[in-house]
Amino acid sequence: MPDNSSKGKVLVAMSGGVDSSVAASLLVDQGYEVIGATMQVWDYSSCDIIEGSGTCCSSIDVDDARSVADKLNIPFYVLNCEAKFKAAVIDPFINDYLNGRTPLPCVNCNTYLKFDHLIQKMKELGCDYLATGHYAQVIQNENGLSQIVTSEDDWKDQTYFLFTIDPAIIPHLIFPIGHLKKPAVREIAEAKGLTVAKKKDSTGICFVGSKGYDQFIKENVSASILKTKHGKLKRFPDGDIMGDHDGIHLYTIGQSKGIGLTYHEKLFVIKIDSETNTVWVGDEKYLYHHEVQVIEPHMLNDVEDGEDLYVKIRYQHKGSKAKVFKTKDGYNLKFEEPQRAITPGQAAVFYRNQNILLGGGWIKI
Amino acid sequence: MPIESQKSIIYLDNNATTRPDPDLLAELVQLIQNDQFPWGNASSIHLQSRDPKNTLRETRRLFAEIFHCQATELIFNSGASEGNNTVLKSVWQSLGQSKNEFLISKVEHPSVIKAAEYIQSLGAVIKWIPVNRKGQIDLEFIKNNISNQTALVSVMFANNETGSLFPISTISEIIKPHGALLHVDCVQALGKEKLNLQELRIDYATFSGHKFYSLQGCGVLFVRRGSPLVNLIHGGGQERGRRGGTENILSVWSFQQMLPLLKWLEAKNHEVRKLRDHFEMNIQNKISGVTITAHEGLRLANTSSLVIQDVDGETLLMSLDLKGFAISTGAACSSGNPEPSPVLLSMGLSRDEAQSSLRVSLGWHTKPQEMDSFILALVEVVERIRKIKTEAEEKKSHAG
Repeated sequence: MPDNSSKGKVLVAMSGGVDSSVAASLLVDQGYEVIGATMQVWDYSSCDIIEGSGTCCSSIDVDDARSVADKLNIPFYVLNCEAKFKAAVIDPFINDYLNGRTPLPCVNCNTYLKFDHLIQKMKELGCDYLATGHYAQVIQNENGLSQIVTSEDDWKDQTYFLFTIDPAIIPHLIFPIGHLKKPAVREIAEAKGLTVAKKKDSTGICFVGSKGYDQFIKENVSASILKTKHGKLKRFPDGDIMGDHDGIHLYTIGQSKGIGLTYHEKLFVIKIDSETNTVWVGDEKYLYHHEVQVIEPHMLNDVEDGEDLYVKIRYQHKGSKAKVFKTKDGYNLKFEEPQRAITPGQAAVFYRNQNILLGGGWIKI
Repeated sequence: MPIESQKSIIYLDNNATTRPDPDLLAELVQLIQNDQFPWGNASSIHLQSRDPKNTLRETRRLFAEIFHCQATELIFNSGASEGNNTVLKSVWQSLGQSKNEFLISKVEHPSVIKAAEYIQSLGAVIKWIPVNRKGQIDLEFIKNNISNQTALVSVMFANNETGSLFPISTISEIIKPHGALLHVDCVQALGKEKLNLQELRIDYATFSGHKFYSLQGCGVLFVRRGSPLVNLIHGGGQERGRRGGTENILSVWSFQQMLPLLKWLEAKNHEVRKLRDHFEMNIQNKISGVTITAHEGLRLANTSSLVIQDVDGETLLMSLDLKGFAISTGAACSSGNPEPSPVLLSMGLSRDEAQSSLRVSLGWHTKPQEMDSFILALVEVVERIRKIKTEAEEKKSHAG
């Protein structure tokens, strides 16, 4: 039933972590009608039971989200997104590694699950807004246009993962903790007595966990396919053969540890050639480039050809100045300063004034 | 948002569990206030064990009388999941050496399916009996596969999701000449169908009290005298040494109070069926693309399994829950994470159909005006979801 006293109905994505829990809690305080939902995205039934806890990894997070929802006295549901998640996130993740790219699964999860599937659920449930615990903010510019801008917490800012959002849905998005810094978020959780207040931050990729992505790929790709990814380690640029490797998926541009070579100087992965399964290694200086090609762009705002923008080339990158030129299938970026380890499979995300999210695309060298 | 629904919930999920009878609860409060609550341990010798002993004895006697068996053939346990596990594992352990085949319907409750998969991993041969879209079990399959190698045939009395009734007496006739034992999961029969364990020549039957307005935690396992039984739980000699663990007296007591009400079964069934049919007729008139699963065959009077085309059952369930209606998309799942129902899939429904399914199960306390408000709510929610879905598809096709 529509409640006239409320500011509107919000579906909030709750992962069971402290950020989305505080997000839900703030919305309740602000007078919204709040409905919580957790996306069940991966079949955790195959996970090992954590010894001593008697429970499995997924249900801990789902139970945490549920207990916060109970505490806030809001309805809560678990959405089955396993099939969608596998098709949109897991399969491309594996495919990227097998083709010499370093994937960015969080963007696909946002594109196809959080800001597509959940938006659809939000509408079907008669809600006005979708809220998440992302470190990002929505503001209205002078023309009344809703825009995504970076979080107050520079370190946690997650706008990098949001460049594929459909601009039409931005007015329906709420990021309740975007104006806060992480310690303040934890303080709110403590003050409100949320059980998740002291929960560790999730690090890395949610479905990979602590075992590492190489183990994840080993468990999910047949040995016969992995065998076809074996190849040679070659010295960049002259091509001397340095040794053999057990699969291009085990390498990332810029990597220097665990290359599988003992050598008198420090070597770095410079390039991965998926057609010949060659992993090129060499001096660090070869990791630096001024120019990047970006394909499959997705823009939330217009950019002028040749405009000077800030560009982030990976999540933890603090952003560098580049001139952005339109090309046939995307953009050509010319950085003021050379950039280290520009990695195919990662995104290049554009900002104006260092804070307004404009859009981005996928890096292709 | 305050959870309004909890205040004035319209409960239409009676196949999952039933709301305990209000008179029963009032009586329980009275007992506790008067310090007459049978809290002792039934296995003790002293006076405090008298009331619990009486509760067990009297409940067993009543149950045996109603379902036509001997009181000594009844074992109290935690519920039908435990009962089903006990039966399958007992028969495998006792007979597996000489007879290793089990005929089990594909639409059984997970406690049967999973227990069957478990004994299969130990060497049992499981032959899964198909069930068609109409909810009818494949009797020819049973005829063609029954042999003197068959240890047990396990079929449910009525299906929890569709309400389909299986012809137990016919199945019994087919299998008995081959010396196979018959297990019937009777969970959905309790309070919904008359049941004569003697006449149907059932060897094992399982029940849960909470499906009939009593408290959760009381199950009954019927084991015909002479049928093999191996303890699932070894312990202090309770239930004539057949099931260890202190009995859940409070729950058994509540079941005892409810059993006499079964005398109203036919009259209640008549009312419930009228309401269910009224609901189905209205929904089919008011919403396009609605089919009633398994309506062609014999069904429980209280159950309606619907497929509502182009509507996601998960969203439907959530939307109705927010409006204060408790229903289900299929079997209740402990994780609260609905997967397309394996029962509907194995009956031959497509994944889309299974995803668009809804289970409505009425109870003895369901009122006509509750069904009318449910019809209104369902129509409204389906229209909204379909409208939004069409808009999204149009947008995608424009974009594409």
